[in-house]
Amino acid sequence: MPPATALASKANKQSISKTALAGKKRPTKVNTEITDDLEEWKRSKQLLKPKDQLELADFELKESIPKLLTTTNPQIPDSLVEFNYAQGKFLLLQSAGNTVVVYESLGTLVPKDSQEARQQLIEQGIDPAELEISDSHSEAEIISEDLKPEEETQPEDATEDGKEEEEGQKDDDEETEKKTEKPEEEGEGEGEEAEGEVKAAAKPPAKGGRARKLTNQFNFSERAALTYNNPTRAQETQTIPPPMANFSANVLQWVIYDAYQQDYEAQQLEKELERERKEKDKAPVGKVKVAKKSSGRAQLSEAVQGKMLECWKVLERMVNQNTYDDIAKDYRYWDDPSDEFREEEGTLLPLWKFSYDKTKKNTVTDIDWNPYYYDLFAVCFGFLDFMKPIAQGAVCLFTLKNPSFPDYICMTESAVMCVDIHPKYPYMVVVGLYDGSILIFNVHATCKYPAFRSNNVTNKHRGIVWEVKWAPDLPDGELNFFSVAADGKINNWVLMQNDLAVTTITTLFLVKEPVPGPDGTVLRAIGCASCVKLHPKNPIIYLVGTEEGLIYKCSTQYSSMYLLTYQAHQMPVYRIDFNRYNTDIFISCSGDWRIKVWEDNRMEPLFVFDVGDRVGDVKWAPYSSTVFAAVTMEGKVYVFDLNVNKYKPICIQAVVSRRRNKLTRISFNPKLPIIIVGDDKGCITTLKLSPNLRIPCKAPKKQQHLDQWTLQCMKLDKLLSLVREPVTLTLPEDTAGSEES
Amino acid sequence: MAEEGKENKAEEAKKIVHTYPLIRHSDMAEEMRTEVMELVATACEKFANSNEAAAKMIKEEMDKKFGPPFHVVVGEGFGFEISYECTNLLYMFFGGNLAICVWKC
Repeated sequence: MPPATALASKANKQSISKTALAGKKRPTKVNTEITDDLEEWKRSKQLLKPKDQLELADFELKESIPKLLTTTNPQIPDSLVEFNYAQGKFLLLQSAGNTVVVYESLGTLVPKDSQEARQQLIEQGIDPAELEISDSHSEAEIISEDLKPEEETQPEDATEDGKEEEEGQKDDDEETEKKTEKPEEEGEGEGEEAEGEVKAAAKPPAKGGRARKLTNQFNFSERAALTYNNPTRAQETQTIPPPMANFSANVLQWVIYDAYQQDYEAQQLEKELERERKEKDKAPVGKVKVAKKSSGRAQLSEAVQGKMLECWKVLERMVNQNTYDDIAKDYRYWDDPSDEFREEEGTLLPLWKFSYDKTKKNTVTDIDWNPYYYDLFAVCFGFLDFMKPIAQGAVCLFTLKNPSFPDYICMTESAVMCVDIHPKYPYMVVVGLYDGSILIFNVHATCKYPAFRSNNVTNKHRGIVWEVKWAPDLPDGELNFFSVAADGKINNWVLMQNDLAVTTITTLFLVKEPVPGPDGTVLRAIGCASCVKLHPKNPIIYLVGTEEGLIYKCSTQYSSMYLLTYQAHQMPVYRIDFNRYNTDIFISCSGDWRIKVWEDNRMEPLFVFDVGDRVGDVKWAPYSSTVFAAVTMEGKVYVFDLNVNKYKPICIQAVVSRRRNKLTRISFNPKLPIIIVGDDKGCITTLKLSPNLRIPCKAPKKQQHLDQWTLQCMKLDKLLSLVREPVTLTLPEDTAGSEES
Repeated sequence: MAEEGKENKAEEAKKIVHTYPLIRHSDMAEEMRTEVMELVATACEKFANSNEAAAKMIKEEMDKKFGPPFHVVVGEGFGFEISYECTNLLYMFFGGNLAICVWKC
């Protein structure tokens, strides 16, 4: 069969063309007949007509023209001839028939039994003959469409094929067996290529020719490749977990409330402490503050230690109380019963003795009761025997409650010569040293180092500081004090915030002709101040005793002159003390064995007592206007009561061994009936005054209402009126004006 | 009677409700602690009537600032036993009746 093509007969074609022609006119007609609506719609449209359209009349239009269609083509030539030069004659050509090819397209379909199809099959390795036999029932089957049946039949084919070939070409060499594993090349009827088929035949099922897939756009093969998977390996490591901790708590409303209360209380307490600390800091300014700025933890441990210390102190005092029980009882209750029978005489009862191991070699150079804690007193350890200097010194604060060990110990690099405790701030202790420098300790904060110290080079005394005395505070609250030294200078020191400011009030020039120096210079002789006392009521007035035996009455207002000069003693004046009741009266003692009682502005002393040895110290008693006590170097304590006896002491008592010890200082306790005396072996002895030494004033019957103070003043005045020289004799001229320096 | 009245007055005077933030327990660094404390105060003031919202805000802020796994409990009464990453615990009271526990784990 020829390839299937669309064929149309000539007649068909003609009819088609004719209908096409007729179609040009007809549609309108048919449509008008069909529906009027459409007609109406069409009528509104302007029909486009070709220009050369014939104008036909109605009847012409209505005229029917019959057309007859036949299968015969009348125009076809029925006898075409052609001249054949070979034969030399015309030959009749075959008629072309009615066929006219309008469209021609070649398909891909191939008849199964055509030569071409066979060729294709062979290329695919299929035996066309076999195919024909097995598939005879479906002749029209197309190879490309159906491959499966072939595959199924293939093995059979191959075996059959193989057998045939085997017979034909058995003698073919078998060396090429291995090459022919693929049976695709196996060709039908082609002997040369069939040599592989021998083997294929030997193993029929395995080597069955597998049809190659015919690929096209409808039948394609899928291809895929599988790569190797990389081998996996497990590896693990573990880090150190972050540190964890457990915490647990319970929250309840009352827990929260309690916590807030507690915290609030703690805050209040803290505030109070802060305030207290501020108040404290006001006075002891300076280095102490810096020292306090330690870290919180250190502070805490300090606080704990402080508490422990407190406990130990109490314990120590308890032990001491037990140890010195009899002394304590004596101090409290024992009054010398013999006093009742001895008119006008009294005794001293030795009580505790205080000393400190490290300062046993030192001399007690000054003692001073604390103005606030009446059981506490400060003791200076220095030396007075200048042939045997001692390098170290100390200030110790002892309390009567603990006779075995000082409460506060401030060690110094140089011998301490004098001390004073501030009346308002009982922890501020100023000390003057042998080397001329001044230290101020805040014993409340620390005893290890001074809160202030004078500069060792620029602002220090060029001599032994013999006495220091606190002055009343300056108007803006700064502490200040006076110091006198062997260099003849009287300095006023002011404690600034971080600084110790010094002003030299005056220099004690002697009223003498200037001494000519070796190279023509002229030096003015300078007096060596040995003690100073501020006037208790008038703070600008003060008395200075010198080693020349003079007492100068000076004012802080005048730096170049003295208000008065008393030719008091022949030897150095050791101490001066104002009477507590009448501040016009003062007493002085000296190395010339004498104690003198003076009245202000009177050049001659009111009383003179000779006690037979150098008088280290003399003090007015705080409880009586007429009682004073003195210590001498021979170790005796003298107590005078001018009201009782104007010529002799009412008590002379050797307190220490005359040969070994010398007494240096004495001090009355401001409250208790005891005195302390210091000696040159670093020992302080406490003495209780017997009742006769402290007789209070008896008020006259008429003046019962008067208090003790007034009575004491009256007593003193009465006494003074007896001893005063008549005013008419010589009025002492005021030397303040004439005295020039 | 008068004495009783006095006592009552004293009691009343004592019952001041404190509302400041009070840290009960914390092992955080100083800076972190103050920061968290402020955050907690802000959150609890902002969401005074919703503890959940406050806790959420604190947690989210903490996660943002110090790294994720933070847990926050805000409440008036609860008990807890937690494991936490060291230096990441804050247990505080706020507003007089709130307890806040913030920890990382």
